[in-house]
Amino acid sequence: MLLYRTDEWYNKLSQEELQKLINQNKAWFEGLTAQGKAKPGRALERKGAIVSGVNGHIVTDGPFAESKEAIGGYLVLDVETIEEAIAIAQSSPGLAYGGSIEVRPVAEECPLDVRARELAREEHCVTI
Amino acid sequence: MLLFRGNDWLKSLSSEEKQKVTDQWMAWFRRLTDEGKAIAGNPLERESKIVSGKNRVVSDGPFAESKEAIGGYFLLDVASFDDAVVIAQECPGLPYGVQVEVRPVAAECPVASELKHQTQFANA
Repeated sequence: MLLYRTDEWYNKLSQEELQKLINQNKAWFEGLTAQGKAKPGRALERKGAIVSGVNGHIVTDGPFAESKEAIGGYLVLDVETIEEAIAIAQSSPGLAYGGSIEVRPVAEECPLDVRARELAREEHCVTI
Repeated sequence: MLLFRGNDWLKSLSSEEKQKVTDQWMAWFRRLTDEGKAIAGNPLERESKIVSGKNRVVSDGPFAESKEAIGGYFLLDVASFDDAVVIAQECPGLPYGVQVEVRPVAAECPVASELKHQTQFANA
């Protein structure tokens, strides 16, 4: 999965630059889709809420749009290795203008399950 | 879209507690899917790489073990932002310190919106 971490860098671009980038992005995404490597990805609005607290009773505005680490969008890839996902991230047209892309493997199994199993094994060892 | 933030909270739990949260989380996702409110969802591995800059440098993700790190996501199909917030408030991880970021999925790419905005401005 590619997570786009960006601020609103595109506000600084001229109309021509924007159009060029949109065309490049479109071609890039269509290329990946044609190769069967990209599943639908979406952009996220620059506003939202953060829910936290024991019962989820704390609802605050966030994330801050100007933060360079805010997630601006995502793309789910269908590739064999993280190296291939990294290579695809590197070919993203938007990188030339700023921001960064976080590359994360989608887990086969929930990490909670994995950790529960590890702990169960450790406890088993202690018992023995 | 719900983004689940925080992946260091697991360490403090016993295996029983972990099993309980996992079961609750799975049941929650299954119910939302059955109700047609969740379209997709995935946990993400802790491994993370960041690609950045004009030179497309690859570095290890700085967010691997932190309160801010994204541990997984749900893509929802709900009528309003408030509906999504209500669902976020049901997250079984909340009592353990998980934060849920709720974000509307954009109807169109923000870069395209900005271009449209500029064009309107130029024509005005």
